[in-house]
Amino acid sequence: MAAEASAQDELYHEAAETYGAALERLARAYESDADLRRDLLQEIHVALWRSFDGFDGRCSLRTWIYRVAHNVAASHVLSQRRTRVQMLVGLEELENMADAQSGPVAADRSHALNRLLELIQRLKPLDRNVMLAYLEGMDAAEIGEISGLLPGNVATKIHRIKNMLARQFRQGGNES
Amino acid sequence: MNEVENPVQKLWQQQPVEGLQMSVEEIRRRAGKFERRIVRRNRRETLGCILVSGLFAYFMIGNHDLLFRIAYGLFIAGMIWVAVQLQRKGSIRNLPPTLGASTSLHFFRTELERQRDAVRNVWPWYLAPLVPGYLMLTIAYAIAFPQPVRWIGVAAFDGFVVLIFVGVWKMNQRAARCLQKSIDELNAAE
Repeated sequence: MAAEASAQDELYHEAAETYGAALERLARAYESDADLRRDLLQEIHVALWRSFDGFDGRCSLRTWIYRVAHNVAASHVLSQRRTRVQMLVGLEELENMADAQSGPVAADRSHALNRLLELIQRLKPLDRNVMLAYLEGMDAAEIGEISGLLPGNVATKIHRIKNMLARQFRQGGNES
Repeated sequence: MNEVENPVQKLWQQQPVEGLQMSVEEIRRRAGKFERRIVRRNRRETLGCILVSGLFAYFMIGNHDLLFRIAYGLFIAGMIWVAVQLQRKGSIRNLPPTLGASTSLHFFRTELERQRDAVRNVWPWYLAPLVPGYLMLTIAYAIAFPQPVRWIGVAAFDGFVVLIFVGVWKMNQRAARCLQKSIDELNAAE
């Protein structure tokens, strides 16, 4: 029992040390209010620690961590007022909305980051999951493993994300 | 971590973070706090149910008319049923420890289905259990006070209650349809 508890604790330490910053970024993408975001991040850490009791190594540690974190965050979105969830949009809609509202190029980094966060926070949880995984530099196979989407769907979504980001941040068109 | 592919990924990955640190002891304490929150909520709802049932029990004991007593008894049974269902379907609950084994799509769909079922079936678990008591109370009142003037008042009140029931049911059906739309979208994405 003590050995199990220690393995659970060790996995948690490894996860917090290696992916702590990524988890903070993820929490920021799911909650804009600073206090609620801190609560969400702590909830993710608690869920991670609890989950390691059942970690069987059938997927990589990174996949496991992102699944737990995204699922806690999605649950957080759902537990907010139901109307808020209905107001979220899919990637396709966001692409059109973002194009319509496209403004001047973001001059400084914090401005650009805020704009990126605005886009992310309007997405439905599953699309947000894909976008965040893409921004964290994951490949399509890993995004599929975390999200549960078929490879073809992941590829389509990544294509959309790349196009939208390219247009929004003026990187010179389609990069895919 | 893969190599940073483009400036937006770089912008995202290099944003400043606070660097939250939580010791395992702190994690355990927080996990326990959440469990206690659920226990407290359950206690609060049980206490509310006991108070309302107690009030109906008081009416039941104080009234000598058999029909009124049956009506209050039915209300008590209905209240207990609703309270039990509220605890089972409550929004505050512990997330399963197997979260990491569930893909986001599967987890999200299960959560949406849980919410949809709770609102779609609002009639059997939330509204219907109160109907027998209410009907019996109306019958008891009509028999105890056989003047037509009183019946008009009762009928007006009954109409008001029916409107509330229908309103609650319709609102929940609309919410269930919205949730079903989201579930269909997820099914199409799989």
